[in-house]
Amino acid sequence: MMKRSTLLRIGLPAALAFLLLIAPLWIGGSPYIMHLAITAFYYAILAASWSLLAGYAGQFSFAHMSFMAIGAYAAALYGTYIRITTVATETCREIPFFGRWLVILDPIGISQSSQTNCLDLARQTMPAGSMIIQPSIWWGLLFGVVAGGLFGLLIGALVLRLRSTYLALFTIGFSEILRAVISAEIDITQGQSGLEMAPLFPNGITLFGHSYSASDKIPPYYVMLALFLVIMLILSWVVSSRIGLFIRAIREDQEASAALGVHVVRYKVLVFTITAMMAAAAGVIQGHYIGIITPNILIILQMSLVIAMAVIGGLENIYAAAIGAVILLFGLELLRNSFTIGPVTIDMTTWRLVAFGLVLMITLRFFRNGLISPLIDRVMRRNVARETVALRNAATAAATPTATTAGEGGSDE
Amino acid sequence: MANQQIFLLALLWVVFWGAIGSLFTPRIYSRKDLDISRATLGGALVGAALGPIGLIPLWIYTPRFTNRIYAAASIIVLGILILAFARAYPDNLCVSDGGFVASQVTNGIVIGLIYSLMALGLTLIYSILGIVSFAHGEFYMVGGMVVYFMSASTLFGRAGAWVWLLGAAVVTFVIGAIFEILFLRPMGEGKIERPKEYAILVTFGLSFFLQYLVQGLAGANPVKAPRFFDFPVIELPNAEDPYLIKTTAGNLRLFDAVSIPNTRFVSAMISVLLLFALLFFLYRTWTGRGLRAVSEDRQAASVAGINPYRMNTLAFALGGMLAGLSGATLVQVFTWLPQVGIPAAARSFVIIVLGGMGSLPGAFVGGIIVGLVEALGAGCVPDPARAAAYIPAYGMIILTLTLLLKPTGLFGREL
Amino acid sequence: MSKQGDMQQELALDVNHLFKNFGGLQVLSDVNFKIRGPELIGLIGPNGAGKTTLTNILDGALKPSGGTVYLNGKRIDTLPPYLVARAGLGRTFQVTRAFRRMTVMENLLVPAMALHATASRREFEEKAREVLDFLTMSHLTNEYGRALSGGQQKLLELGRLLMLDPRIVILDEPFAGVHPRLMEIIYEWIYRVNDEGKAIILISHDMETIFTLSKRLLVLNYGDLIADGDPDVVKDDPLVKAAYLGEDEPAPASPAGPESAKFALPTRQPGQDDSADDEEGRVNA
Repeated sequence: MMKRSTLLRIGLPAALAFLLLIAPLWIGGSPYIMHLAITAFYYAILAASWSLLAGYAGQFSFAHMSFMAIGAYAAALYGTYIRITTVATETCREIPFFGRWLVILDPIGISQSSQTNCLDLARQTMPAGSMIIQPSIWWGLLFGVVAGGLFGLLIGALVLRLRSTYLALFTIGFSEILRAVISAEIDITQGQSGLEMAPLFPNGITLFGHSYSASDKIPPYYVMLALFLVIMLILSWVVSSRIGLFIRAIREDQEASAALGVHVVRYKVLVFTITAMMAAAAGVIQGHYIGIITPNILIILQMSLVIAMAVIGGLENIYAAAIGAVILLFGLELLRNSFTIGPVTIDMTTWRLVAFGLVLMITLRFFRNGLISPLIDRVMRRNVARETVALRNAATAAATPTATTAGEGGSDE
Repeated sequence: MANQQIFLLALLWVVFWGAIGSLFTPRIYSRKDLDISRATLGGALVGAALGPIGLIPLWIYTPRFTNRIYAAASIIVLGILILAFARAYPDNLCVSDGGFVASQVTNGIVIGLIYSLMALGLTLIYSILGIVSFAHGEFYMVGGMVVYFMSASTLFGRAGAWVWLLGAAVVTFVIGAIFEILFLRPMGEGKIERPKEYAILVTFGLSFFLQYLVQGLAGANPVKAPRFFDFPVIELPNAEDPYLIKTTAGNLRLFDAVSIPNTRFVSAMISVLLLFALLFFLYRTWTGRGLRAVSEDRQAASVAGINPYRMNTLAFALGGMLAGLSGATLVQVFTWLPQVGIPAAARSFVIIVLGGMGSLPGAFVGGIIVGLVEALGAGCVPDPARAAAYIPAYGMIILTLTLLLKPTGLFGREL
Repeated sequence: MSKQGDMQQELALDVNHLFKNFGGLQVLSDVNFKIRGPELIGLIGPNGAGKTTLTNILDGALKPSGGTVYLNGKRIDTLPPYLVARAGLGRTFQVTRAFRRMTVMENLLVPAMALHATASRREFEEKAREVLDFLTMSHLTNEYGRALSGGQQKLLELGRLLMLDPRIVILDEPFAGVHPRLMEIIYEWIYRVNDEGKAIILISHDMETIFTLSKRLLVLNYGDLIADGDPDVVKDDPLVKAAYLGEDEPAPASPAGPESAKFALPTRQPGQDDSADDEEGRVNA
């Protein structure tokens, strides 16, 4: 029995991962489906990491997309304003950097094209043969993840004393302030028009002997898939480790956990930081893939989508949340086509969201574990259930009249 | 240019010492085993007002934080900031033009009254059901939409504003009641685990649903209802020199300086009327007293024969209705979209947190404060483009500061 | 099963001049007692006497206004609850606090894993199964906490304490609302844990069990420790009688109703708390 469950626990995800790895063989030809798949992974990362934060740790934060945006903006600012040159420019702010110069461009001339940027000025005076290098986006990824993590740490520490409703309000407040700041500081972030981000592989890449251009969907598919798989691995390690055990205990009862030796503060902040870093990583990759980042990723609809995906999939199961995100994304996409009945045209771009809201409410009301998670439980816990039934029967057979069965026990709550 | 740094420096000084005060004062008070519930805010205020000159004696003598200390420190902080602002931007309208300031303040109070009405609905829901409705903004939006469509329809178009308002009230009340019965009642019956989180998410779902339902039904084009009433033309003391009051159909001008648009004025007056109606309902009718009884002590009220479930439904529907009415009056002021509820809801959250969750006077005072801050913020911040972009943030800064410094708000029960 | 019986090193709890006031309300004043070795102590007192406050201070959830607490020479009154737990003081709560949406096994693993930073889950699962056997709950291993009856949840809390393996245990109303058959298991638990060399402080309104179990009785009355000693002696102490019968005791204003002032009360209803903790919301200041 043990063997079968281990097989399921490891084999099923592995098989799924393998399927996703070879999926481009069938869908690789359609840029549209590939685009959906990449977006689906992006949302799956967000929904799964949010489910760790909200479902496991009980921290219903609405700031998850803010961490994503912080990551993406950190990477975009890095890509826009940081250059490496072989010769000092003398016009920009710069610091020596391993024999070269790390140049921080000034915003002038980047947001207003009428003025010249300090680097453009420098170009005219720099000796021939000197190079201006755009640093690798992978360092930007690291930078974004670190920035997201730092903000996660900060927010996690600030909200330690806040519970449920207050936490939700605080995080909504944070998210709105961030959006206002990004929209307002046009000099640096270019406000609503957004910051451009370089493609993941600006010069194209050769995979399996096939060269892909910068706009091909297959390389970003694999990058996002890799990130998704890595994050799912980390998440599943976290939930099965002591961290997962403790954050659930804290969710259930903070005081009781502390009385049993659990360092509540550390684990609450830790889970905020981890999930913020994951969201930030997803934001960086998605930003590079889409090519632009604007403050609109912070509108409440985006957060609603992630929450709804996690809830409909199953808030207390990272896999269910991820699968929920993928299914919902494709589902919403399929429902996109408007149709006409007689004189009435049904604008499905709106009505599908109405249905979505309705499904969200009904799921919350009647399927508190979501729609996907019970299915997973049925497959995974079948053995456990059998074992439990056996134990129960044994207990009854041993005629211990005291041991009230679980069913009766529940009633006196 | 150098002048402008005065304000920035003053702001940094205030924030720095405020942070120091809020961080260390509770520790010092708890070490001396004094009441720390007011120490965070008190320390922040004293630090911000007087810097080290205030903090050192505070930490040595550790007085009790009375409301007087709060008030004095707040006035000093405001004074420092205003003086620094005046030095830094002598040409700003807010500094040079007293009439402009008076006008901004009056308009802030007027709009604050309307905000209060909406926040009262939210605080009413919180005090009875113990939850914050994240769909509150959508009730506001629906109220406005109902008024617009009634005013634009041939059937009700000529019926007049009172009928439209009644229509908005009925629709939002019914939506609230149905939703409460279907989705929130099971919570009270103990069928839901983790009810607080469930309430957050399910009202969030309702918000999503209503927003797109209205968009599907009404489209996403901005609409605006006509003016409800015209002002009678009054010119005092005389038509040649009306320096006391001068009205046109769409505007009211006081003392030749303060100008209030008709629509805002009418909305505020309707809000005040509704406010009194609400107070009358809560304090002079049996049902209203029942509601208050439930908010005071649920168990005792149900022993006394009040059906708490009915009261829950009533409170949620009534709260939604207040938001709906607030939207119904404001649809003549602002253009209306299915998304207008989001910033309005955010503002209500700010107001009830600032005023103290579940406190009726808190919602009222909080609404006026937020109205003032927004009016002055929008009018005074130097760079207009930036000021406009930051408008949604002002309230949120109030919210985060309140939650960090005094989570119980102005009128909340001390813990 | 844990073979620490007499291996348990010295055990000493020193409570010195403990004061606690909330605002102006004096909840504990100058409480002093010492525990040496595996004693079995009853702690009683009318409602509002400060029993729960004392527990919360010992446990680290509250900081005293004055005084110190030492456990085996280590000062614990300044430590946060999780370090107090690791230092060897465990407690149960008046209202059961099983982790409702975690399985019984997971409930038991929490304290064990929190205590040992490096050990693996598997080691403790073995120990947890033994604990469950002892509590006659092994058929419930994979049930969720919420599916358990009130009494079983109390047992589960005791099981968690076995996993935490503290030196000293405070049981707050362990018998309230428990089925008589389960009460026997709790009795057995107390004797066993005591035999293993742990000290137990037992808080109960049920005088019968207190007098049956404890070898020493502490009596709190409105923050004063008015008696400390052999139960049979303490019972006849005039101060204690006064406290319970309300004879010539200038009763300070307190929420305690008249019915709570009777000696030898039958088991009280569970869920009646003499300190209004746990206010919903963000609390936890």
